[in-house]
Amino acid sequence: MLKVINALLAIVGGVLGSLLLFYVMNKVVERLPRKWEERVKPYVFFGPAVLLIGFFLIYPAIRTIVFSFANSDSTSFIGLTNYTDLLGSGDFVSGALLNTLLWMIVVPALTVIFGLAVAVLADRLRPRAEKFTKSLIFLPMAISLVGASTIWKYVYESRPEGTPQVGLLNAILDKFGIAPVAWLQLSQAHANSLLLMVILIWAQVGFSMVLLSAAVKGVPEDTIEAGRIDGASEKRIFLSIVVPQIWATVITVFITVLIIVMKIFDIIYVMTGGNFNTDVIGMRFFTELFTNGNNGYAAAIVVMLMIAIVPVMLYQVRNFRRQEAQR
Amino acid sequence: MSGRTLTKATAIAGAVAVLTSGCLSSGDKTSSGDKSGGTAKATVEIMFGFGGDQAAGFKESLEPWAKTNGITIKYVSAPDTFQTLIRSRVAGNNPPDIGIFPQPGLLKDLVKQNKLQPLDDVLDMAKLQSSIVPGFLDSTTVGDKHYGAPVDINVKSLVFYNKPAFTAAGYEIPTTIDELMALSDKIKASGTAPWCIGLESGPASGWPGTDWIEELVLKQAGPDVYDKWVAGETKFEDPAIKAAFDTYAKIALTKGNVFGGAKSIVSSSFQTAANPMFTTPPGCFLHKQGNFVTQKGFLSEAIRAKIDTNLGVFAFPKGAFDTVEGGGDSAALFTKGDANVTKVLKAITEDPTFGGAWAGPSDRGFISPHKDFDVSKYGNETTRSIAKIAYTTSGIRFDASDSMPAQVGNGSFWKGMIAFTSGQQDEATTLKKIDESWPKS
Repeated sequence: MLKVINALLAIVGGVLGSLLLFYVMNKVVERLPRKWEERVKPYVFFGPAVLLIGFFLIYPAIRTIVFSFANSDSTSFIGLTNYTDLLGSGDFVSGALLNTLLWMIVVPALTVIFGLAVAVLADRLRPRAEKFTKSLIFLPMAISLVGASTIWKYVYESRPEGTPQVGLLNAILDKFGIAPVAWLQLSQAHANSLLLMVILIWAQVGFSMVLLSAAVKGVPEDTIEAGRIDGASEKRIFLSIVVPQIWATVITVFITVLIIVMKIFDIIYVMTGGNFNTDVIGMRFFTELFTNGNNGYAAAIVVMLMIAIVPVMLYQVRNFRRQEAQR
Repeated sequence: MSGRTLTKATAIAGAVAVLTSGCLSSGDKTSSGDKSGGTAKATVEIMFGFGGDQAAGFKESLEPWAKTNGITIKYVSAPDTFQTLIRSRVAGNNPPDIGIFPQPGLLKDLVKQNKLQPLDDVLDMAKLQSSIVPGFLDSTTVGDKHYGAPVDINVKSLVFYNKPAFTAAGYEIPTTIDELMALSDKIKASGTAPWCIGLESGPASGWPGTDWIEELVLKQAGPDVYDKWVAGETKFEDPAIKAAFDTYAKIALTKGNVFGGAKSIVSSSFQTAANPMFTTPPGCFLHKQGNFVTQKGFLSEAIRAKIDTNLGVFAFPKGAFDTVEGGGDSAALFTKGDANVTKVLKAITEDPTFGGAWAGPSDRGFISPHKDFDVSKYGNETTRSIAKIAYTTSGIRFDASDSMPAQVGNGSFWKGMIAFTSGQQDEATTLKKIDESWPKS
């Protein structure tokens, strides 16, 4: 009970406190001569927010970059050793780095394709069936990736041969008399990584579908009519008329999912802990920081990830700006 | 971004950078939590790495004492995640008052960072030396100072078996490793897999495999090689250690030796791996594990109800040497100079009767580290006989992977066992990788 009261007090106090702060600062600024008031007022209003962002976002980011040049307990600088060690270690490059690249290639593409497929096909159904289908596909977005991983653990689970199979896939194999397969240990051709990617795709398809469905519905009917009159097949209409007009949305979805994929950690941590060659950058960072207590390596890994993500994010921002300008 | 906005943004970032960047951690030359003497907190916080029944037993043993002494204890249970939590608590400058570490390696890591207090002036070391099973206090010693004292111990050099089935089949308890291998072959010849082995343990998967290697090193190469191995002087690629891996491979990776096949070992949870021993007909006959396998959640309740008739146990047979491997949880001190914190620490480490409520009547996986603990308190004969092994042995060594630096003991060694057992990595690569991961400092 006490915790609930504390929480309510925090919410009320926080909101009222902020209002009070801005009110007081506004009154103070109003007392200044006109010219100064015009100049200072904007800073007064966005100042607190910028300071907070600076403190909780920029300061830690800069400190992390600094730590990436220091040793494992951050007591002395060692220059670029962390970076050369990591990039020189076959384990990191052909393990975590390669796997992350694989994820980046496969997941956004498949998410877009499946989302588009559902959007287009659901479009053809009657309204009620369409709503129902879309809700089903969207449902996985409501749970955390850890929750999703727990669910899929029951699909991939394997028990020793002869004991009852709890995992869905192995139970099906069992019915056909085939021996159970340890799915998450199949590292040949990265099969287990692909199985893990299925989980992320499953969770993100809803997002992709919703955006692409809106885009598909936004394609002017006359362009499609024109195509039909000219005698184009459905497939041709789709590829040459619909897709170019929704391309901006496709890019948006692709980039958003790409950013999520680059940071992925929870799925791998819950399902395999990074074993069986499923390690990715996010997981490796966790291992370096918490298991090995090596601040230097952890910081270097995360800085490299940041360097890789920043261009993608800048592209995303520019994309948004362009879309806003078109409205 | 427009040129002006970009310049402004860079200027702000630059200002922040200049103000903060030069600073690295000061290295914390003075111990943190140094509340100079004379305080007596009303609430003492203890963080430990066990959960379930063990946590319940611990609380039941400490609460009556706490009530009598007017101290409130805050219990923080962190099974599986202890190392992550304790590191973030320490890094956030908010450690508990007392930490009960399942791994001396982790404890020694924190000693290196000057986060823990030496116990030589806090506890009666002479009394502890004579009362506690020899070998445990050494595991948490750095230089010549003691930083930990055991709260509970477990014995790992044990092989469990299904007593009725074993006797019915006419098998005899082996006393040497050669006899053990012969027995294993005999069982295999009769058509059943001799061993049940499980390595899965969530984020800690792989540790039961390390127990196997440590056992074989101790019994085949001896305690001196073992100690050098823990200290990093003897490498994993050394022939003595390689021999242990070879024996492990012979037992676990030979076709038909393990229930479910070698492939299923890494996905078989260590908690339930022994259960096939008790099916009719038995799926396997032997299971090497620590004594904690007798607590709830491991063996089925039906078996546990009549544990002394159902479950048999013998000490892992000797090789050229006879040293016993054990583990346990050691209490370490974060808060210096607080009267109540010290009192609590003394209660859980110095008192040879501590843990009476934990030991029985129901088995909660507890064995007291004190040689003079009243063995009648243990809930069943199985635990009593295991405790006697610990109390009468002349040489016990602490679990090696728990004593090695964390990135090896909790990292590459665990993962190495998983990769090697699942057939993903061959022995030579496994040994090389673990050696490479050893911290340079």
